[in-house]
Amino acid sequence: MQHVALLAFDKEKCKPFFDGLTDFFYEHHHSEAQNATRYEALLYKVHRPYDDAMLDMIDEWMGLPKRDWRDETTREVKLAMYAIRYPDTLLLDSFTENARSDIRRLSAYLHFTQHTYAIWDEDSRKGLSKLGIEIPATEVADPFVYGAYVSAIELLKDVAPFTCFLEHDVPRQRLFQAALAAYGRS
Amino acid sequence: MAETDIVQDYSPNFEQWIRDFSEWQTRIGFDPSWLGDYRFDIKFDWDTAGSTIEFGDFEGMPKWQRRMQIPQQNIRDAIISMVSVQGDTEFASVEQQNHLLETAPTEYDKKSALRIMCEEQRHGWQMAYLLCTYFGEHGVREAAKLLERNAQEGTRILGSFNEPIDHWLDFFCFTHFIDRDGKFQLKMLSTSSFKPLAASMGPMLKEESFHLGTGANGLRRIVKQGVIPCAFLQKYVNKWVSTGLDLFGTDDSTSAQWAYVFGVKGRYDERESSEEADRLHLNEASREFYFQELRDEMRRISTARMEGEPELFIPSDRFNRGIGKFAGKRYTLDGEMFEGNDSDWQAYLDEVLPSDEDEDRLMNDYMQQEWIQYRDWKGD
Repeated sequence: MQHVALLAFDKEKCKPFFDGLTDFFYEHHHSEAQNATRYEALLYKVHRPYDDAMLDMIDEWMGLPKRDWRDETTREVKLAMYAIRYPDTLLLDSFTENARSDIRRLSAYLHFTQHTYAIWDEDSRKGLSKLGIEIPATEVADPFVYGAYVSAIELLKDVAPFTCFLEHDVPRQRLFQAALAAYGRS
Repeated sequence: MAETDIVQDYSPNFEQWIRDFSEWQTRIGFDPSWLGDYRFDIKFDWDTAGSTIEFGDFEGMPKWQRRMQIPQQNIRDAIISMVSVQGDTEFASVEQQNHLLETAPTEYDKKSALRIMCEEQRHGWQMAYLLCTYFGEHGVREAAKLLERNAQEGTRILGSFNEPIDHWLDFFCFTHFIDRDGKFQLKMLSTSSFKPLAASMGPMLKEESFHLGTGANGLRRIVKQGVIPCAFLQKYVNKWVSTGLDLFGTDDSTSAQWAYVFGVKGRYDERESSEEADRLHLNEASREFYFQELRDEMRRISTARMEGEPELFIPSDRFNRGIGKFAGKRYTLDGEMFEGNDSDWQAYLDEVLPSDEDEDRLMNDYMQQEWIQYRDWKGD
């Protein structure tokens, strides 16, 4: 589902963001806190069949506490990683409350298994807001809020000029999400 | 702002060309079912293309949007020639590479290569569309030729696009070194005085960045895996760099100068540069940007190597050149004049370029192992 209506999208507002996208990306992705080397290693280390250790590695990179999930919950989430296809986010609604309680964790799992899904970041949400795309703040994995966040980033990928597209070992969704985070803080 | 306009209606000339294209796919063994839901859209980014001619003798005048607005026949011919060469390379690369899908080292590589081939075909469509839509009978004839020349038969316009791509190491080198040249050509055309050509480049360049990334990351994954020694890989780097450098054309090129005078093809940094263009050495200037980018990229690729492995490097731009002032002359990888007779030179080339024995070792030894770092396909 395309959550952001193209007609409501102010393209002129995006110009400063697109002009500085490369710098914004470097500022965020290559910051000490983001540990770009570890991120790039995870692109390779997370692969099918998914196991708990892979989720642990993602948690560690995200700086999240250890999951306090029942085995069935972990199994259910891993199965969803195989089943979900962009732009679907409604599958999130089928998870237990415990799994849905942290959008950052779930979005990171989704991102490292299917790159089209972006990591939820409060600063990236603020970056979108500066571009006129208002996504509500949330801590739980609301499928509609997260769906709007992901499709807004997809929309930016579509309208961005070619100068934004680096030849980098980083998926484009990450390129834009990371740049948005720095832009949101600026 | 880059808003992509997708063309919905095609002219009868282009509709006929599409039928010929289907036959071409069958002829080269590209199964259309591999495309899945991919569509060969004709895309324009009119905003980024600009409205005013940016350089050359027509600078400041409105960009030409139709054939009849182009003031001279020789300018029309120059545009047709550039569009034809660009289109020719797009189809040639698919002819060179499509057989590799059967031997992809991972599903990720297979899907990446398939995506590249789909996008190269789309780029070819885009060029054929320009020829069929804007250049009358002459354009239609040139568009037909895009599907008649063939890389396997050695009849493509540029030499590199007739070279066989026998294995995946050559594929990654090709996408890294030769597609990078493609990026330069597209960017130089993105400021063109012929607006439909300039407006074609933005969407093509967006797609091209994935192709270059596939090449650079492929080489990095090979280096990181450490099965193929860096000294062995270096021979393939040596082979492809000179080919890439040659693609920029002759030194002191008059055709590049005329293309600049007409405003048809700019410098690589046309919009960024504040300096006056050196019209006598346009190819050399673009080639130097490319050469510098190759060196930067190779340093990045080389950081992934295992302990004790030698650093990969880009050989001198004098080595093994077929075009330009160093063509046919004997220089070492370091750019020093080679001292020795013909057999010494041949022995040197055998040492620094891949030999038949190397090819055999690559295919039957290294590539029988886990020679490239594994990666899952997860979209982009």
